[in-house]
Amino acid sequence: MLFDPALAWAILPRMLYGMLNTVTITALVLVLGLAVSLPITLARMSPRPMFNLPAAAFVMFFRGTPALILLYLVYYGLAQLPSVHDGPLWLIFANAYACAVIGLTLNHASYLVEILRGGLDAVPAGLTEASAALGISPRQTFTWIRFPLAMRYALKAYQNEVLMFTKGTAIVGVITVVDLTAAANEVFERTYDPVTPMLGAAVLYWVLVNLMRIRFEALDRSLNRHLIADERRLRKPVVGASQGALARWTSLPAGPTEHAGTEQAR
Amino acid sequence: MLLTDSEIGYFRQLAGGAVITMELAVSGYLLALASGTVVGLLTLSRNRLIQAVWRVYASIIMGVPSLLVIFLFYYGGSSMLEGVIDITPFAAGLSALVVVYTVYVAELVRGAIRNVPRGQFEASAALAIRPMSAWWHVIMPQAVRLALAGLITVWMVVLKDTALVSLAGLNDLVAHAKTAAGASKEPFIFFVTAALFFVVFSAATLRVSARLERRFGRGLAVVKA
Repeated sequence: MLFDPALAWAILPRMLYGMLNTVTITALVLVLGLAVSLPITLARMSPRPMFNLPAAAFVMFFRGTPALILLYLVYYGLAQLPSVHDGPLWLIFANAYACAVIGLTLNHASYLVEILRGGLDAVPAGLTEASAALGISPRQTFTWIRFPLAMRYALKAYQNEVLMFTKGTAIVGVITVVDLTAAANEVFERTYDPVTPMLGAAVLYWVLVNLMRIRFEALDRSLNRHLIADERRLRKPVVGASQGALARWTSLPAGPTEHAGTEQAR
Repeated sequence: MLLTDSEIGYFRQLAGGAVITMELAVSGYLLALASGTVVGLLTLSRNRLIQAVWRVYASIIMGVPSLLVIFLFYYGGSSMLEGVIDITPFAAGLSALVVVYTVYVAELVRGAIRNVPRGQFEASAALAIRPMSAWWHVIMPQAVRLALAGLITVWMVVLKDTALVSLAGLNDLVAHAKTAAGASKEPFIFFVTAALFFVVFSAATLRVSARLERRFGRGLAVVKA
């Protein structure tokens, strides 16, 4: 069986409806993930075990578990606990869409903690020392010096993680949310044609992911617009845009290492 | 907490599923590593055609969820090859994971080799080291150092992505956990067990990777910023 354009056209509205859910879930997780991960990052970097141990455990568990199991755990597992099932929280946990957002947010936030930490660690110690010498308070140093720089260093890793989890939303169908993949599956079950709906979904995912990539690259350019032409040339990756996608995605700060690597290669 | 007989039976099934999960993850990773290295070396070529084909291919694979690739291989493959061969969920899942992660490995290998300083190639040539020896003794050790962190991440991602193959009907750890959760009405414990399996393997990976990084990074001074 091959791609059937007539069928693809007929199912387009249903696919776009699914895609709408994919997009809104992605957007919600994006915002919630940032909000959740910032305090956890600070706790993770705190020298006190009281803060950094729970944060490390959070990252270990939610980063190490496949998102699919997290969704099962949130949607089916928590319903078993009486405090959840009979409490006011049931309003949230009875809703598959909310469970999908919660499960993916926990996963995404745990990755973000490591990325933010990598970015903050990459800020040269000399800057912190200089601002201490100038009598700038630690809080102001964080808000105005370390954090903005860390954002710039971590952007590439953040971009890769966001694109990864956007593709990762494809699993929400397992807890009855109709996203793009679930819509394609629905069509397959009705028409017995797997190729057309799934290739169609693949095209739509590809468009979504690449639109996001273009936005990120524009943001990267605008954050680094102060760099003079020479530095900008140095920043340019040696290989294609997708180069080292995973290397950056781990937790490595993109900024300084990229400079070093590029300089070596010249 | 005491376990009933039936619960012990479920855990035994989970253990069987865990073996399938590990088989899939290990074979998928090793195959992706091998083919990714070959493809990565091929894409170093300056041939325009190779470059163009590679760009398009990598962009497509990196822009599509791996779950969709697994479905496409399993359902699409079954319908196209009907009567020729029987496609099992394991075979479909394995080939989908290999196809997807070959691209990521290839990008890492290619990036690592490109980032080995050019002087190293030139010095090898100047010292009349034969190209094969130069690749093996000079370039590869340095490229491994650069690619290592990424390759370990790929392993963790592959391990976690095997969970997706349960959605194509593979009876792995996740599928057994779901069955046990539904049948026993005790979903929490079985899903937490499955989650802990992956967490333990990720933690073990981190320990091994720290050792590997020390081994491949020997002779490299650590400079504090």
